[in-house]
Amino acid sequence: MIFFRRQLPLIITFLMGAMFALQYYIPHPVSEGAITAVSNWMQIITGFAMILGIASLFHVHFLKIKRQVPGWGYSLILYLGMIITMIVGFASHGDTTIDGGQTMFGWIYDYTMVPLQATMFSILAFFIASAAYRAFRARSREAAVLLSAAVVVMMGRVPLGQFLLPFTWDITQWLLNVVNSAVRRAILIGVSMGAVALSIKIILGIERSYLGGGKDH
Amino acid sequence: MISIDRRIIFLLIALATLLPLLHPFGLPIKVSPEVQVIYDYIENLPEGSVFLLSFDFDPSSKPELEPQAIALLRHAFRKNLRVIGMTHWLPGTALADSIFSRVAAETGKKPGKDYVFLGWSPGAGSLIISMGQDLYKAFPTDYYKNPTKGMPVLEGVRNLRDVNYLISLAAGSAGIEMWYVFGKDKYRFEMGGGSTGVIAPGLYPFLRSGQINGLIGGLQGAAEYETLIARNGTAIAGMDAQSATHMVIIILVLLCNLFYFILRNEKEGPM
Repeated sequence: MIFFRRQLPLIITFLMGAMFALQYYIPHPVSEGAITAVSNWMQIITGFAMILGIASLFHVHFLKIKRQVPGWGYSLILYLGMIITMIVGFASHGDTTIDGGQTMFGWIYDYTMVPLQATMFSILAFFIASAAYRAFRARSREAAVLLSAAVVVMMGRVPLGQFLLPFTWDITQWLLNVVNSAVRRAILIGVSMGAVALSIKIILGIERSYLGGGKDH
Repeated sequence: MISIDRRIIFLLIALATLLPLLHPFGLPIKVSPEVQVIYDYIENLPEGSVFLLSFDFDPSSKPELEPQAIALLRHAFRKNLRVIGMTHWLPGTALADSIFSRVAAETGKKPGKDYVFLGWSPGAGSLIISMGQDLYKAFPTDYYKNPTKGMPVLEGVRNLRDVNYLISLAAGSAGIEMWYVFGKDKYRFEMGGGSTGVIAPGLYPFLRSGQINGLIGGLQGAAEYETLIARNGTAIAGMDAQSATHMVIIILVLLCNLFYFILRNEKEGPM
């Protein structure tokens, strides 16, 4: 059994990893056919992964309700919301509109999901303003530089700021295109190098944490 | 004074948002080069070119990305481009469909003939690869379950290599980066991006390196695009509110620092 739990996944990972890393550089019809087939498999697997995710969510919140842990009422609301949406979704065949008319599923989407998500994000503006007032202080030289840059960018990104202090537009463009790009690029290169190193370790079987922590590990 | 009641801050932000919406002051919108590039590219596409718009966001980013989508669709339809719509974000599918249908109806465009909305399919990166290999295997039917093969709007389109221009309107991942890594890099089409204000700075390295040719950032970017197509929408209307809230936050931050320095000097006091 240990072969199926350890060796076989490692062999599959090595073969698929090496094959599809090389595939990118081989524009032959056989190679193209292979990537087409595998990308179709991946789409199907992703579909199943969603089912697994939903099942896991139901399980986690079922346990919370059963044990009546603090805040279990929210789990109950989540359960009800998911079940009602699923029933309505199946009844509407997943359509939000039919012949231009709104279905019950479309109604749930337009009048619960859209406003709820919009509200969650809108209230961020209030919290950010409050947090900025409390925390954005020039306690050190670095904080002062950050504060100055933030004020200039906030001015330069809105018409009123550009109208009151026209130079903030040019400084904002320079900060975004030069300073910001350079720093972000450095971070991106670092992250990408890390991703390449991790991928090589996974392909070669050095990094095995994705296999899970069974007894034999 | 430094520990001002946060309800006062909330009230100030609410007023700064509401008052300009009720009484707009309509300051001119300055167009940035990164938005101008996208406009120029679409403007120079020949009639009948294939334009793919990927709605990679959900309702939480609607205020920023819906105006971008509407402005881009209005421009594309005005130029008589063949428009393909899709999304990588399942919760955004119905929103994308409603935006598409609204703008198409307003411009008199017909589904299947002038545009097609493919909807959502799982896979994200692998979906892009699949579309790059064979669009009809990735999306055998559109959002309304009509077979994609044989649709007049997709005539001559086999895969992503036949797309003339692609824009991903992204609120995160899956979005612009993924379209570049799995799509443009391999299947060689030109692409631009639109994003929420919060992720826009992170996309500037892609813009500077030419991996995307232009970037519409946040509500300001949407307002710039509305200015370019000379069609005022919710972005231009919202910019006054955004201007006012930015100013309130700046004043609050400056006040906070003023109080902070006064208090610090008092604490240190004359020795």
